[in-house]
Amino acid sequence: MRIVIAEDAAMLRDGLRMLLAARGRDVVAAVGDGEALRAAVAEHRPDVAVVDVRMPPTFTDEGLRAAIRIRRDHPGVGVLVFSQYVETRYAARLLADGADGVGYLLKERVADVRDFLSALDRIAAGETVLDPEVVTQIMGAGQRAEALAALTARERDVLALMAQGRSNTAIAGALFLSYGSVEKHVSQIFAKLGLPPSDHDHRRVLAVLRHLQV
Amino acid sequence: MPVTAARELAYTLILPLMAGIGLVHLVVVLLSVLTTVNLIGVPMLALSLVAARGLGTVNRRLAGALIGARTTDPAPFRPGKGLFRWVGAALVDATGWRAVAHALIRLPAAALALATAAGLWGGGLVLLVSPVWRLVPEGWPSAALLSPAGLALLFLAPRGLRLALSPERLLARTLLGPSASEARIRRLERARAFAVDDAVARLRQVERDLHDGTSARLVTLAMSLGLAREELELGHRPDHLERARALVDGAHRDAKETVAELRDLIRGILPPALDQGLETALATLAARTPIPVRLHADLPERPDASIEVVAYFCATELLANVVRHSGARHAAVDVRGGDGRLTLVVRDEGAGGAASGAGSGLRGLADRVGAVDGAMDVHSPQGGPTVITVTIPLHL
Repeated sequence: MRIVIAEDAAMLRDGLRMLLAARGRDVVAAVGDGEALRAAVAEHRPDVAVVDVRMPPTFTDEGLRAAIRIRRDHPGVGVLVFSQYVETRYAARLLADGADGVGYLLKERVADVRDFLSALDRIAAGETVLDPEVVTQIMGAGQRAEALAALTARERDVLALMAQGRSNTAIAGALFLSYGSVEKHVSQIFAKLGLPPSDHDHRRVLAVLRHLQV
Repeated sequence: MPVTAARELAYTLILPLMAGIGLVHLVVVLLSVLTTVNLIGVPMLALSLVAARGLGTVNRRLAGALIGARTTDPAPFRPGKGLFRWVGAALVDATGWRAVAHALIRLPAAALALATAAGLWGGGLVLLVSPVWRLVPEGWPSAALLSPAGLALLFLAPRGLRLALSPERLLARTLLGPSASEARIRRLERARAFAVDDAVARLRQVERDLHDGTSARLVTLAMSLGLAREELELGHRPDHLERARALVDGAHRDAKETVAELRDLIRGILPPALDQGLETALATLAARTPIPVRLHADLPERPDASIEVVAYFCATELLANVVRHSGARHAAVDVRGGDGRLTLVVRDEGAGGAASGAGSGLRGLADRVGAVDGAMDVHSPQGGPTVITVTIPLHL
């Protein structure tokens, strides 16, 4: 897998590069700001770009804006936005043009190397990865919590994993359920929330997030 | 004739008009005061006080433009809604009353300026041209004396008039500009704005330091440990163990560096030594400064905690300047308390030439000192020595 990294903290950038190289990923470029990122993506056409939200010169949402433009200009390039904060607005902006091949993770997720690498693989394969923390915030907010009141506790667990972009198989594994009962929960959730059923994981994510008015 | 002299002469020539209008206005004010018993005088007085403001503005502009008595404008007249509020506000408007006082007190000052102008410029001109106009029948000998005398008067005229205009200048500055309390309010408003901005800027700096420094380091550290754990899980082959050891070594080093960095960061936010008092904190600061610093402290009573923080950061900043810019080999810090004020003096024998102009670090420091109603004095001739004195109240 070919990867471009955009991260302004040199230490973390080098660390990421080392980690990915140690696990057999090909880091084709590692840059420190949004402009350089867009140039590197145009040049290398990587499978995934790993992008820090806050970069010079403004240190606000440079990376996010660069990520959105990359998705527009190079639809085949997966984007993993990497942040120290959970900001549901950022997630909403990122997902506004579709959710396939997009991820939004907290930086510390990199400490669980296997999960981090599988997130990269999923994004490269066109799936969606949302940080559990993002989903918790989305589901926890006042009016949304009300919208979810009709769901059972188990259904809410399934919904949370669904919103993170997990497939039914992965949800079954995470909750120690059978594949069949996950399917049953999913169709219950879609029925209760009045959503059109969808097989594609990333479309499922979008449907759920739209329903939650992100 | 130089431009300033021309302006001053022009001002003096307008003076009779301005003083005359002022006099008429004074009469109106007086009449209004006398008729206040009839109630008609009350709105009249209010009106004439607002008019006084206008007259004051014209006088202030003239004085500023022509005789160099520039002052900032006083606060504009802001009456409440409704006639009664308007009248009430006008009657207690200090700026209006001060303009009335100006119109009265300026009369002798105007007379002085006018008489001087008439004597020096007028007299000089008359004497200069008197031979031509045959004003003096005696002929050549006296003409030969009178013309040079006229020239001499004309030569003295600009300086003389400038001197004679001093009372006018003084009156314009003191009575037409903002009053002392108004000026103080403005200074405090500026200081408050600075304090708020400064607090926000500092918070942002702390956030950025934590975000870019500590947080990034900890993420890297967690990443190394995550990798190391995987290497250990992958089995007991020697190369995995070796890699795991290298990763743990790196993480261990990172952890120690992070702690050191965090300590510096904490000290930058608020040095823990300040809990023990300003003197202890300054002693720690002096010991940490790369050049020898002689510290003398005499604080019979402990200042407010916030004052200690301001004094400490002044000392930090000033000593950093000494190290960075002065080239001095040692410095002295002297802090004293008494008469409700804390005085901090930082001295060095370095190159001097420190200026508190816009954009310099000293300017920011002066603003910070101003925010607690203090003052900073910079004495730093080229070639040194530099003595910077910060005076702030002991208690807010």
